[in-house]
Amino acid sequence: MTRRLVVERRLFFVFAAFMLSVPWLIPALASVFWVNVITELLIWSLLAASANLLFGYVGLLSFGQALFFGFGMYGVGIGITQFGLSFWPAFGLGVVSAMAMALVCGIFAVRLTWHYFAIITLVFSLIFYFLALTMKPLTGGDDGINFTLPPTFSFGGTQWSFTSTNFQYFFILATVAACFYLMHLVVRSALGKAFLAIRDNDARASLIGLNVYVLRLVAFVMAGFLAGVAGALFAFFGRYASATYMFYQTSGEAVVWAVVGGVGTLLGPVVGTSLLILLREIVSTHWEHYSLIVGALAIIVVIVAPRGLMGLWRDWFDRSRAREQGETQAVPHTEPRTEP
Amino acid sequence: MDTLLLLALNGLIWGLIIALIALGLSVIFGLLDIINIAHGDFFMVGTILAWFALEITGSFWVGFIIVPLLCFALGALIQRVVIQPIRGVAALSIVATFGLSLILQEVVRMTFGATPRRMLSPIPGTVPLFGIQYDVYRVFAAVVSLAALGAFFAFLQHTKIGTWMRAVRHDRDTAIAMGIPAQRVYRYTFAIGFALAGFAGVVAAPITNVDFRGGVDLLPVCFMAVIIGGLGNLPGTAAAAILLAVMEGVIESFATPTVARITSLVLMSAVLLLKPQGLFKGHTR
Repeated sequence: MTRRLVVERRLFFVFAAFMLSVPWLIPALASVFWVNVITELLIWSLLAASANLLFGYVGLLSFGQALFFGFGMYGVGIGITQFGLSFWPAFGLGVVSAMAMALVCGIFAVRLTWHYFAIITLVFSLIFYFLALTMKPLTGGDDGINFTLPPTFSFGGTQWSFTSTNFQYFFILATVAACFYLMHLVVRSALGKAFLAIRDNDARASLIGLNVYVLRLVAFVMAGFLAGVAGALFAFFGRYASATYMFYQTSGEAVVWAVVGGVGTLLGPVVGTSLLILLREIVSTHWEHYSLIVGALAIIVVIVAPRGLMGLWRDWFDRSRAREQGETQAVPHTEPRTEP
Repeated sequence: MDTLLLLALNGLIWGLIIALIALGLSVIFGLLDIINIAHGDFFMVGTILAWFALEITGSFWVGFIIVPLLCFALGALIQRVVIQPIRGVAALSIVATFGLSLILQEVVRMTFGATPRRMLSPIPGTVPLFGIQYDVYRVFAAVVSLAALGAFFAFLQHTKIGTWMRAVRHDRDTAIAMGIPAQRVYRYTFAIGFALAGFAGVVAAPITNVDFRGGVDLLPVCFMAVIIGGLGNLPGTAAAAILLAVMEGVIESFATPTVARITSLVLMSAVLLLKPQGLFKGHTR
């Protein structure tokens, strides 16, 4: 076994041990404030993952993921306040309505690609943002709707609900982890390979017999599912649903988090979201104008690491492998993918 | 009828102002392949600088002259520091300009404050126009916006740098082979885009709120004008901006502004789906 493989394997074990242990220890190590920050961060990384699934794996740049996030939120909020649903049916309503909306939008949107796709998803999300603002009796408009949280599980007298910060954290951690595992399965499956084929060259993909339109639609609905789960979790987390989260800036942030972390990698969105949100939380306690730091960091990351932080990590790894093999010439640098 | 006319005229003037902003967005997009999320904030910076110029010198007209020049310089600086290193990779340009947008908004919030303010009209009074009394300043705004649009197209057609810009846009490699300094053309293009948005900001400052979030709502409208007008079709972009704003103004005369916005968005998605090359025939990229 070469030394490189040993290093790789060791790093993998360290990483796996980190992923398996640290998230579960956080409530024991951190204060309630930080547990809540990390809970929120997990939800946002799921939204970033939905932007990443479309952009990083299918090559469609969506500026409308906030729409499905919003449908997840409102599915939960309206389900609880208007229909008196309990936790799980409300959760289901949120996710299903987000997916249904993604299907309807997708039927039209995936006919277009690149700039046109970005603009049409932006336009669709704006339409529903303004609709949500006007339909005040149903959506509460700008103020949103507040609701009291139904318990998640109840067995006789014992109940578990989001009123416990730790339960809330573990529930959201498990759900987000399950979604990322699902995405991992999809990406590694034949379907995932088909997505990559479309991303790299859609004409060739259609020539080898892939139905590009249907596959793009499938990816769009899957991304709607991820965003919908994120929105539903966020509604439970904040105990409210509001139209403000459906504005295009939320969609834009999801894209930014994904690109900073590294698109086309499974965990890139988690890395990017963690970096930017933790930084925001750390700086904002000391300095009111923390946006300056976040903005500057976003710029520095894309200049220094055009393939995102995960790309930087891989480059470092490739270089260390090159040293290992005693190559004198530099590793051929792969250019960042420009246009799908 | 009078409200309809008034709102349609207001829409027309907004359309001319938006056309200025959208043209900048379109040339930056066409030449540098930059999806500029911060372009709405360039407009906002223009309104804020106009407000500061009025505060410091006491005259609106000083800002009217100086602000576009300041914006040009700022645009050249930003192109050098932020845009040049990412070399037109569209996905990166979104992140970089998003960061730029955060920085611009935050700097304005630090210096100008978070409260929206109104500026007094520099030319008070009204004139009779098609049977209604109309603000003189708005008429003036329409005239200067038209003049700026005309000047921009003349600049593109009849000056050396304008010709270079068209050449680089048409075929970058050949243009470079012919000795056109592409890097300088990029710098000028970005700076001109910023200056156009900044000028639009000065012109619009007395008829809108001066606010650090003033560009946020405007950005989607500008992108829509660029797409509906046809990517790379500059006259189409200007026409689409005017069409969109007038349409919203007309709908506003019998519905709420939000309903007007929804209607125009629905029409827009129809255009995108049926005619993705844009509404207007003509030369595209």
